[in-house]
Amino acid sequence: MTEIIVVTSGKGGVGKTTTSASLSCGLARRGKKVAVIDFDIGLRNLDLVMGCERRVVYDFVNVIHGDCTLKQALIKDKRLDSLFILAASQTRDKDALSVEGVKKVLDELTEDGFDYIICDSPAGIEKGAHLAMYFADRAIVVVNPEVSSVRDSDRILGLLASKTQKAEKGEGSVKEHLLLTRYSPRRVAAGEMMSVDDVKEILGIDVIGVIPESPDVLSASNAGTPVILQENSDAARAYEDAVGRLLGETIPLRFLEEPKKGFFARVFGG
Amino acid sequence: MAQVRLRTLDANEVRDELAARVATAPQMFERTAVCLDLSALDKEPDIGELRAVLDAVRQAGMYPVGLAHGTSTVDALARSLDLPVLTQFRVQPRTAPTPVERKPTPEPAAFMNPTLMHHQPVRSGQRVYARHRDLVVTSVVGAGAEVMADGCVHIYGALRGRAAAGVGGEVTARVFCQEFHAELISIAGVFRVFETIPPELAGKPVQAWLDGDDLKLARVGA
Repeated sequence: MTEIIVVTSGKGGVGKTTTSASLSCGLARRGKKVAVIDFDIGLRNLDLVMGCERRVVYDFVNVIHGDCTLKQALIKDKRLDSLFILAASQTRDKDALSVEGVKKVLDELTEDGFDYIICDSPAGIEKGAHLAMYFADRAIVVVNPEVSSVRDSDRILGLLASKTQKAEKGEGSVKEHLLLTRYSPRRVAAGEMMSVDDVKEILGIDVIGVIPESPDVLSASNAGTPVILQENSDAARAYEDAVGRLLGETIPLRFLEEPKKGFFARVFGG
Repeated sequence: MAQVRLRTLDANEVRDELAARVATAPQMFERTAVCLDLSALDKEPDIGELRAVLDAVRQAGMYPVGLAHGTSTVDALARSLDLPVLTQFRVQPRTAPTPVERKPTPEPAAFMNPTLMHHQPVRSGQRVYARHRDLVVTSVVGAGAEVMADGCVHIYGALRGRAAAGVGGEVTARVFCQEFHAELISIAGVFRVFETIPPELAGKPVQAWLDGDDLKLARVGA
């Protein structure tokens, strides 16, 4: 059975694309057949983070318009055999997407036996974001521990409860998860940043992962390697945990506290 | 286009009833084009009677523009009056209730309705309004969300957004919440904005009520 997961947030720059890239890699690494679709028409980003920007020939809009087949447009990842990327168009705008067009592509991916379809939503609550969430079975709401991001996520959660196909047809609800990114335990301890519990209390949904603030995220994006594939990175481990939770495993949250410095580090200021 | 189903050929009665109808909703019925349905009449009218009825409809403020498709007599009448027969208005069986008969339904009295229950969180940008009744929210009201009722508003969770009770002017309506962080509270149009939440109320169970023109707030159950 295919599960459609939207990665959304409302606010921009909180890590939707980074999260989409890492979760799709994590799922594919566990043997799942995964397609990740960039819904941010006009602002192609996912292909850069995935490191396949030079292999984009056809894009999502081409498939919808029937300029090419879905198979031609799907880019096979070089690292993982069961991972495919459908890039956004850089030359069109959001109006190029339609409910019927998106449905057609998702249906075809479902028929092709994909286990997971990850929809990387654009920021905002306009058409692109709406279409990215419309057919979703699950939603991962990416949130930074700061007030404006939390407010926007609350708005998005409201839309998920009312403006999706499931809600409109009364076929149950989209399963919602929170994923906190750029979490800095040091700043939380200093009272400069909202804690996981603060965010959870305001939004009232379960937390599927907390990704610590890490320089690895930026360097991974620049290198075109999803951060989850980095070795010895806390952010990678945190994403790997989130993938496990997504698959139903029970894994306690990590990286919520500042790592304690060892004796030598304390003495020598490591 | 509206359809007028005639039950009588008494021109005065038709005129009075339609004029009353026009007066209840002039923006909807005044100078509106109508199609006459003759199927509910006991007998089919002759041309003189129908002329009189058409005049009565015009005097009431509506424009008859055709006859609803029916028997061959209707067809003949339409032909001699130079009126079209409109087939998209299908005649109803005689037993069906006629719209002309229906009196405008009276507005239900306030507070007769069951309380509106809302069990999901009211999220930022959402608005819940309980018309002519109380509102109970069993979850949270997020910042930027609005809950309103003509009666009282009860929130069994945190109130971080806006709450308005007595929206229709009911001054005895109150707002109750389990955890007070409200942005704004309003009762019967009197409102208070909380740029800073009074520290003795923050996070506490609070009720708000109207005392004259003053909006009062106090902890409940303490």
